[in-house]
Amino acid sequence: MSEKKQILESACKNFEEDLVLYYYGEGPALERQRIEIHIVSCSRCRRFLDDLQRILPQVAQPAPLPQSFWDDYYSETVGKIAARHEPTYWWRDFLAPLRAWFIPAFATAAVAVLAVALLFGKVGWNDQAVRSRAALPQEVLADADQLEFFNAMDVLESLPVLEALDGAQPETSASRKG
Amino acid sequence: MDDRRHQELRDEELVALCQQGQSEYFNVLVHRHMEKAFRIAFDFSHNTEEAKDLSQEAFLRAFSRIKQFDGRAKFYTWFYRLVVNLCLDYARRKGRVRWQSLDGIVEENPERAELADSSSMPDEQAMAGEAKRRAESTLKSMPDKHRTAFLLRNRQGLSISDIARVMKTTEATVRVYLHRAVAALRQSLVEFV
Repeated sequence: MSEKKQILESACKNFEEDLVLYYYGEGPALERQRIEIHIVSCSRCRRFLDDLQRILPQVAQPAPLPQSFWDDYYSETVGKIAARHEPTYWWRDFLAPLRAWFIPAFATAAVAVLAVALLFGKVGWNDQAVRSRAALPQEVLADADQLEFFNAMDVLESLPVLEALDGAQPETSASRKG
Repeated sequence: MDDRRHQELRDEELVALCQQGQSEYFNVLVHRHMEKAFRIAFDFSHNTEEAKDLSQEAFLRAFSRIKQFDGRAKFYTWFYRLVVNLCLDYARRKGRVRWQSLDGIVEENPERAELADSSSMPDEQAMAGEAKRRAESTLKSMPDKHRTAFLLRNRQGLSISDIARVMKTTEATVRVYLHRAVAALRQSLVEFV
């Protein structure tokens, strides 16, 4: 083991990085050709490449996992994605911050307004009716009285009908002339 | 969704379908990339549950950002970038990672474990076990960027140019990272192989 440690030496400085790429199959064909020509004559670079060929596949071999693991993994991942993919509407996003307190607050306010209206509404309306009559000008009130007089005239015009209803003979136009 | 047809679709075609609202096609992308995503996450976390969480979070992020994918890069470089960024954040957050071997999961399935370990002699097994531990220890001790470049190349098989896109750096820088990681591994492992 210690013997191997002693013989471990780096590749040529100009080639070491390229040898790594060569191992991985990277680089243009011309470059790869240059390396191939070089390693024929350079034992240090040949050994370096040989080490990579022995060591790196070992590091690249993780143990295969059972199919059941991947089946579980797939269904779990797809489930998580489906959970995140619920349909979304812009207005839901817009109202989302309000949703927590908006509905209870709105309901409370509505109930409070209704209660106030029921308690004070009737008194307020009556006051308003009294106050509105007092505030009317005299001319308007006089007109209102005249309106009542004209309503009474309507009753006079329908007097014959009322007499007929009482069973009395209605006064004819001829008897009125005679 | 026609199972056979969708398997033949390229990543970018599946992404285009997702962008048009047919999000069920994202499941094909999950199936196609889940193993690599999990492996990358495991290489960083060395913990099965955390690797699962990290890689699944990467899928969730990819799904929610799918409309931002503009097709300038390949889907897998865009997606692996999400995975690697999550892993690097995780590594920074954790500072020290708890190392758990993937063999722990395989032990639940002994037949497969036997197939995975081809060395039959006890000495060879001991050597292989020690080499594996040494490799993990070397990977753990190297800078995150060196490790990322190495894992993406050596375990995921990404090209240098793809790694550069994933790591948002130049190809020349990736070559340097890769060379340093490989040199460190050679130094620590040459006596075992």
